[in-house]
Amino acid sequence: MPECDNPLWPCAMTGAAACLAGISGISVVIHGSSGCYYYPATLLKAPLFGTFILEKEVIFGSEDRLCEVIGDLAKTGNRIAVITTCVPAILGEDVKAMVARYEVLLVDSPGFAGDAEVGYAKALSLLEPAVDPARPGINIDGACLLDPFSRGNVQEMRRLLSLAGIPVGVVLCDTSRASLSRLSPFTLGTNTDFRSNAGEYVGGTLGFSPLKKTFGRIGEVIPEADGAAVLSEIERQEEALIHACDKYLRRFNPPSVVIFAGSAYAGFAADTLKHYLDADIRGIGLRNPETSGLPPHFPHEYVASLSRVKDLIETHAPDLVFGSSFERSVTGNRGFVGLIPPLRGEVRLAPRPLAGINGTLSFMEDVLNTCMDQKVRQRNTYS
Amino acid sequence: MPLNTSPTPTSRSGGCTLTGALSVTTHVRDAVSIIHGPKGCAHHNFSLLHATGLDNDRAVIPGIVSSALLESDVVFGGEEALLRTIRSACSGGAGAVFVLSTCIVETIGDDVEEVCSRDWPVPVIPVPTAGFLGGTFHHGVNNALIAISSLAGPVEKDLTVNIIGEMNLEYEVEENYAEVLRLLHSLGLPTNIRFVHNLNTWDIASLGAARLNILRDPSLVPVGEHLSRIFSTPYVPSFPSGLSGTLAFLQAVGNACGVDSRRALEIEQALQAEVLADFADIGDQRGVFSGPVLNGECSHAAQEAADALHIRVSTDPELPALPVHPSVGTAGIRRMLHRWRRSLHA
Repeated sequence: MPECDNPLWPCAMTGAAACLAGISGISVVIHGSSGCYYYPATLLKAPLFGTFILEKEVIFGSEDRLCEVIGDLAKTGNRIAVITTCVPAILGEDVKAMVARYEVLLVDSPGFAGDAEVGYAKALSLLEPAVDPARPGINIDGACLLDPFSRGNVQEMRRLLSLAGIPVGVVLCDTSRASLSRLSPFTLGTNTDFRSNAGEYVGGTLGFSPLKKTFGRIGEVIPEADGAAVLSEIERQEEALIHACDKYLRRFNPPSVVIFAGSAYAGFAADTLKHYLDADIRGIGLRNPETSGLPPHFPHEYVASLSRVKDLIETHAPDLVFGSSFERSVTGNRGFVGLIPPLRGEVRLAPRPLAGINGTLSFMEDVLNTCMDQKVRQRNTYS
Repeated sequence: MPLNTSPTPTSRSGGCTLTGALSVTTHVRDAVSIIHGPKGCAHHNFSLLHATGLDNDRAVIPGIVSSALLESDVVFGGEEALLRTIRSACSGGAGAVFVLSTCIVETIGDDVEEVCSRDWPVPVIPVPTAGFLGGTFHHGVNNALIAISSLAGPVEKDLTVNIIGEMNLEYEVEENYAEVLRLLHSLGLPTNIRFVHNLNTWDIASLGAARLNILRDPSLVPVGEHLSRIFSTPYVPSFPSGLSGTLAFLQAVGNACGVDSRRALEIEQALQAEVLADFADIGDQRGVFSGPVLNGECSHAAQEAADALHIRVSTDPELPALPVHPSVGTAGIRRMLHRWRRSLHA
């Protein structure tokens, strides 16, 4: 891999921590240096433990230190998950044997193994989520602590499932350890970049069109579900959205945009902007090499560094940029809408969704308000 | 529990050497800081520096490049990746290149110094870091300052003062600098450079010109000693802390620079009396100190202010909390007293 300036996305170790820290009843131990511990601890805002190993443990072995930390945690009754960082991963120690006397889930997910999605998927597969055919309801998938929209997505999905009279199964990954072996047989997706593949997938919820299909399908697999209640709300809200977008288009040209996100959110943003505003999608910079969430007709590439972000913005000169606060810092006077972490330099308290009906509405609210602010600013500049 | 989610300061939780060094090297604005290691280490630090910059109303992008080591580099060695990264950084017009190693690179044994010592078109300076293998956050800061000082040569002395080792990640970094600047101004002393805070490579050339170095805090004494050996510049070991500490600071700086500090001391004493009079309304009350860093220096400064206002400090957790943070100068004490007032009147 060529060198990379100001890398934009967290490593596999952080992804594994984001998965495991969402499961109550599991104590997550980062086996590595204090530097490796502090980043996920501050980013995820979840309780994590660390071995904070020092040079002597690298030279003479880290068993005593690891067992010291695990030994104390074992008294809490929680299951312990140990995530190995770069240095312990190459020390050649048999960590599995070292912790054999405890019930430990060992996740070998060093930073050099890849990006956050790799570690998240690995940790989730080791948790072995299993379906209980007798459990009613639908699981909500793709809730990752890294995602600033995760809490809002789950809240919105709970609302829609309740509207359809369907109980919520298990939220992955925001659940208890005990629930992991009792998943409902069906699963719907929110952010598919963090998909579990657990349960039969009934569809995604990013955007009105997938939402309609998903609730239509839910009506087929769960006959007692009242999918019509949700479909009727979608129809009503979509009408309001179309009205707002038409009103905008009566005065202004569609915005040109460049989008930076993982493939799921990038695909959602591009589709929604194209469909309702006829936006000019000039480029998509993907945070992950994964492209499954993205319709292939949109121009896209994998973008890992801030200099490439700058290049794309300068080349395409869009009206609007979507991304994180990294993108915002190189956006200049163009409009900006936050779509992926980190979203720093602004206060965010309420859980906002991207999934579901309110997710699309809230996203398009941001887009239209930003576009109109831009137009007013431009008009004031020229008058 | 040996370590919890809020570890107390120990050698284990003294922070990452790499982060400490980057908090310094990324403030040389025309330089590139190469992190020789996996991309994740660079992302962690870039994200932290970016967030801190936003908190300090500074939207400057730190110049960080990762050699982006993969599993194959870890197995077969990462020196080729480092060579490629330095070559790329040198060709991009950087004024200097700082090379910072990581835990994993130290463990696999890459010879970073040898790669840096090759013939490069701009100064390529290795900074001894290596995450936990290199020490703590403070070691990183000190190592970076000492490494960067190699960009300065001998120059003639003048009447100025250098500010050494500001905590660039500190939320109040600019306010603390402004307070020191105010005190130096009262002594009639101009500043030379803020080493290292928001400057360019060519600014560093004048490092040796100052008559005095003022260190941000005593953990920088090894840096003060190093600069004293190289440039024969004496140092004051810390920014002023507390009311009496501020007066002592004025006197020490005046003495070191051969400046009569009596008038400045009179003005400062009058200002301190004025500040205390402004807070007479919170006098004769009771409270308990609270804060994440209750070290001797900041506890002493807080106790002195409490005594001056006849506030009785107890350990009773039922009493109102009196927030204590490291404060610089009389202005720092004033800001702390505003927070005490909010708490005592709550």
